[in-house]
This record gives sequence, structure tokens and C-alpha cells, in this order.
Amino acid sequence: MPKYTLHYFDMRGLGELCRQIFALAEVDFEDKRYDMEKEWPAFKSQTPFRQLPVLEVDGKFIPQLYAHCRMLATEHGFAGKTPFDAAWVDAIADQHKDFYWGDFKKFWWRALDAAEGDLVHEELKTKFGIPERDKFFPLIEKQLTETGTGFLVGDSVTWADLLISEHVSVIVRVVPGFLDAFPETKKHAEKIRTIPQIAKWIERRPVTAH
Amino acid sequence: FRACSMSRVFFYFFEILKYILPETMPSYKLTYFDTQGFAEVSRQLFALSDTPFEDNRLPREEWPEYQKCTPFGKMPVLEVDGQKLPQSFAIARFLARKFGFAGKTEWEQAWVDALGDQFKDYLNAFLPFFRVAFGTATGDLEAMKKSDGEPIRDNFFGILEKQAKDNGSTGFLVGSSLTWIDLIVADHMGVVEYHLPHFLDGFPEVQRVRRNVIETPKIKEWLEKRPERPY
Repeated sequence: MPKYTLHYFDMRGLGELCRQIFALAEVDFEDKRYDMEKEWPAFKSQTPFRQLPVLEVDGKFIPQLYAHCRMLATEHGFAGKTPFDAAWVDAIADQHKDFYWGDFKKFWWRALDAAEGDLVHEELKTKFGIPERDKFFPLIEKQLTETGTGFLVGDSVTWADLLISEHVSVIVRVVPGFLDAFPETKKHAEKIRTIPQIAKWIERRPVTAH
Repeated sequence: FRACSMSRVFFYFFEILKYILPETMPSYKLTYFDTQGFAEVSRQLFALSDTPFEDNRLPREEWPEYQKCTPFGKMPVLEVDGQKLPQSFAIARFLARKFGFAGKTEWEQAWVDALGDQFKDYLNAFLPFFRVAFGTATGDLEAMKKSDGEPIRDNFFGILEKQAKDNGSTGFLVGSSLTWIDLIVADHMGVVEYHLPHFLDGFPEVQRVRRNVIETPKIKEWLEKRPERPY
């Protein structure tokens, strides 16, 4: 078994997907977490793209979250059972990326730290949060309804399920009621988090704000 | 809705055909606008592998109707025996893996994917400036070139230049044969240089990759016969 180290900041953020794949596959890894101010500047120039997360495998690096997550998931059987299924997993992940880093971000990054009665937050929710939610989550509802298996693609868990369920579980906590119109999506997130290996990881992972 | 129900008919037709003739090659249809854009890499993969496909270039006025039967409301959409697949990189990776242009090992495939996603991040940052350059947005081109275009270019093409060099200056970004990231980069460079001549002169290793791609016989043939569009 190769020696794996995941290099990321001390948060769930973009590191969580890879950690959950390791948990699901029951593969050991070093969960290296960098302090953004004190430790990251020194390490930055050693990374291929000067960004985190980066996965280190036997001393060699793979940057870009989806690239190393897809590699790990494929190796351990969580990337879809056929080439076409694997392509659909990729498509859902890319669609989520477009959603997450598009206009939704203008609302979401504020929502993560918003205090009660934050008026700017409410404005951003109306202008960006709600419209972007209503473009993306119907696709997830439709996908779950079509497979009917409780998984986004095929009849078994893939890294797309981990990606979506993690984000959904944070949304449900940070903006209560925001996804009430998407019952299959909420059910899916709850179900994925009860997979024993994932439940165990959630219980023991470091608790961080994001 | 006619477009949606026609593709259902198409799908069932191929299910029956597959039952009668289990060894037939799948039928491919790629739908996109009549531009290179995010479909070009997949068209080139078909050309490289000599795989016939229907190059469905949708007139702009047909898009609102067609959009209703796309999985995610966007194009390109690939149909494989009538089954739909959205998202340009999911499509490109699927075809590249099938035809042998995704990287020869798991590690190479992951590096091709990483460079692909880095390209996407770069393009998102670069597009506001680039749209001014190719005339679909207004702005002070020279000012934006200094504040955005050049730094964003230098950051990404610097990564590619190093990658190409570390890979042995072979004319491939990853491994020792063409992969879909070579195709994406070469195509993008062609579009950039058409609108901003000499903008990418400072990257000789990446220029070598581009020459390698456009001189590959099947790509050369495709470039000669494809409709010429500005982007």
C-alpha cells in the first residue's frame, strides 16, 4: 500500500472529500493540516500549483482536488461501476463545482459566517443564494428520483455522493430550511452520513468551523 | 418537446439494435453551438481515433427548445446510443479513456485531470479580459491586459511551461503520447493567438506542444476540414 499524505488547511473545506474517500476505503493516510499564516507560506513553493489540497503518494504530488479524489475513488471502487457511470459521476461533480464557485459563492461565503439579523446576508440570499439553489438542486432531486437507489449514480456509493452530501449537510446546519423544497436531496445526505465508515470518520474528525 | 421525444425514440431504437447485433460500435452524437468552445476537444478525440460521430452544431435560435431536454441545461451534450452525458470534461475524459488518449497509467491520468482542472480555473479567471479581446464585452483592453490578462496568463502558462519541460520537452504535457490536455491547450492557444497575436510567444515549451498537436496527421486533417469559427 502506498504511503498517502493529504496536505490541506486545518478545516474540512476542500480537503474533506479526500478524507472521506480514505475513510470509506478504510485506507490509512496522514492528515496533514497547515496553519494558513504560519505554515502554508513555507510549503507553498513545494506544491506543483502553489495551491492546496495536494495529495502526496510515496513522495510524489498530485494537485487539484477532483484529480486526486477521482484517482483514489477509482482505485477503491467508488467511481462508478461502468465507464459511462464514471462519466456521470464526473459530470455531477463538475456541475456542483460550477454551482459552488459561480454566483452562489457570493451568498454562501457570507452565510458561513453570518450573524443573526445580518441584512447583507439576507440581500445576498435573495439575489444569489435562492436563484442559484433553484438551478442546481432540482438536478440533484431529478437524479436521485431517476436512479431510485438512494445513490446519485448507479446502485452504490460514489465520490459524487460524498461531495454532495457533505455540502448539503453544511447548508442544512448553516441555513435552516434552505433546502426544504428538496426532500430527496436531504434524505440522501442523511443516508450517506450513516454509512458506517463515514459515520465513524464524522465522529472522530477534528471539529472546525468550516 | 419534439427534440426530447425524438431522442427517446432514438434511444429505444438503439436498445433494440444492440440486442440484435451485440458487437456494433456505439453511435455518437455531440451537440454544441457552432463554435469550437468546450466541444472542440471531444471533436478532436473522434478525429484522432477515426471514430465516426454526428457533429450536431445547433443554431442559436434552436437552443431554448433544445435546452429543455439537456440533463443540466447546458451544452455540450454527448449521446452514446441515445444515452445522454453532460459536462464537457466528463465527455472528454470518457472519450479519451475509451480511445486511449487519457494517459497510460493511473498516475498519468490523474495528472492530465489535474492540468485540465487547472486550465478550467485559469479560463474562468482569464475570460473577463479575453471577452474584451474578442469583442463580446466592452472594457479598456490595454489596462485589463496589464492588470489581469498578463498576470493570469503568466501564472498558468508558467505551470504548463514547467510541466512540458519536466516531462522531457517531448511535445507532450504528460507521458509520452497525446492526451486530451494537449488538445485543450493547443486549441486554446490557437484561439488566443487569433485575437491577441504574440500573446503567448514567451512559452517555447508549450508552443512545442501546440506544434506537436497541430502537426499530428489526423488533427491536421480535422483542422483543415472543420468549419472555421473565431472561438
